[in-house]
Amino acid sequence: MPPSLIRRYVRRAAYALALLLFASNSAHAIPAYARQTGSACADCHAGAYGPALTPYGMRFKLNGYTDTDGQGTKIPVAAQIIGTRTVPERGDSTTQLTEADVYLAGRISDHLGGFVKVETDNNGNDHYNTKLSNLDLRFVAKDLKIAGRETTIGVSVNNSPGFDDPIGALPNASTLGPPAVSGTLLNLSSANSLYNKVIGGGVYALYDNDWYGEIGSYNTMPTSMQDHLGYNPASDPGHLSDTGYFRFAYMKDMKRQFFSAGVVALTTKRQLPRNAPSDDITDLGYDLTYQFLGNRENIVQVSYVNILEQRDYGSTPTINGIAAKSSGNARDQTLSVTYTFKQSYALQLAHLISTGSQDAARYPPFGKPDSTANLISLYWTPFGKDDSFTSIANLKIAATWFRFTRFNGASANIFGAPPGTLITNAKDLDAFTLSASVAF
Amino acid sequence: MSKAIFAKAAHYAVMMGVLGYGAAVHAGDADAGKDVFKQECSECHTVKEGKNKKGPSLFGIVGRNAGSLSGFDYSDALKNAKWVWTEDKLHWYLSQPAKQANPGTKMKYPGLDNAKQLDDLIAYLQSNH
Repeated sequence: MPPSLIRRYVRRAAYALALLLFASNSAHAIPAYARQTGSACADCHAGAYGPALTPYGMRFKLNGYTDTDGQGTKIPVAAQIIGTRTVPERGDSTTQLTEADVYLAGRISDHLGGFVKVETDNNGNDHYNTKLSNLDLRFVAKDLKIAGRETTIGVSVNNSPGFDDPIGALPNASTLGPPAVSGTLLNLSSANSLYNKVIGGGVYALYDNDWYGEIGSYNTMPTSMQDHLGYNPASDPGHLSDTGYFRFAYMKDMKRQFFSAGVVALTTKRQLPRNAPSDDITDLGYDLTYQFLGNRENIVQVSYVNILEQRDYGSTPTINGIAAKSSGNARDQTLSVTYTFKQSYALQLAHLISTGSQDAARYPPFGKPDSTANLISLYWTPFGKDDSFTSIANLKIAATWFRFTRFNGASANIFGAPPGTLITNAKDLDAFTLSASVAF
Repeated sequence: MSKAIFAKAAHYAVMMGVLGYGAAVHAGDADAGKDVFKQECSECHTVKEGKNKKGPSLFGIVGRNAGSLSGFDYSDALKNAKWVWTEDKLHWYLSQPAKQANPGTKMKYPGLDNAKQLDDLIAYLQSNH
């Protein structure tokens, strides 16, 4: 494999690992919402820190973040600071302030609410980059009746397909997707992913408390705008056209238990790079979730997401003397199980698989883009409950192990380094992190 | 004479039975009710005095006039409900969808159809005052 390609795949591996690190530390429990509603963090998030939502949290999101305790206007601002000790299998360990975030999050009226996260990341050696992270602005009409059934209809403007999903199992909402060499467009861990780099949204409806549907569209932002918003133009998702996003799900809240089953689709024509012929891409996926909530002492949350992407490529370049195929597919699967005790102690296990069709030209040297990884995270969130020191702020101490068993289609010598050079095995991408996050 | 005494005794026995039965219907277990409260109510209510969520604090709810907690923004429907939250009234209200019991209320609750859990919950609410 040429050194330039090796460097490219190393960058992809580093990117995938960074996203996994991000996923384990990401917070969606926004203290500004707790102040607005009078609710505790733990009412919306089983582990009192997020991002996984309880059924009540899903309803809050569906209602456009507008629910309130009626006790006057609250300042819709919150912040988060994360410090992390990272111990990679290969390379130097680091201990640093890794992330500082500001959230503008809350209601504007009974019908308007939103969520905007501005994130500053430490890229190493105290070089900081500030970017517009998640965005979700909503208009919602509640308490409507259609055929005698309670109905909620809303509009969401956001920057990641699936981020606005109430169930929150899709990769862009759970921030958990397989680290992928060739992942699907709905996976935030794919190279040149759409995550936070597109703008669009859709119209959604919840009918009779159980049936959820959404239809929408997205466009990529110009690279100059991505640059201004803090994104490296090298991560440009390309130019999208004729993009449609569709979501349909059945969700059943039985108070002690919850389950959902849904399907999702994204179809688009993508030019990457922007002057290249367009690829026809269609993602079609399904997701299943189950929660045992009981009396909230012992909570189990299980989710499984399976997304298949079909591609008809606009070009078939010849790479290293081999002609690329004119079509292919990729599949991303995520299985996550989380046990939470007293909404304070949690263990999360995730199995992440990304696979794709054989293409010797596009995926050298093995012709397969497959990767398999696991995330094992143990964390403690002492606050954020009605009976804790504070119910509207929280601390999260997390120990997380990232384990790779396959990357770039192989377990050993994953970049196909020639004899006598440094060989990288999949397990060399493993990492252990110890992080402390404060949200207030 | 003995016939009259027998009839009176039978009458008392029936009355005690009725009262006893009546008491048994509402004889909930407050400890078990705490779990029911967490399961059914705690996302929108607390039992802390003065702590409102989306719904008002339920501290001292038994015996309180409906819609009377100062500082909470009740719906007109509940403000105009002229009742006191007795155990019987709570039993009636919580055993059906809230919007059926009090049309126009903001409260979204489908009702609790498990009689034992309802008794336990009301016993727990009764214990918080």
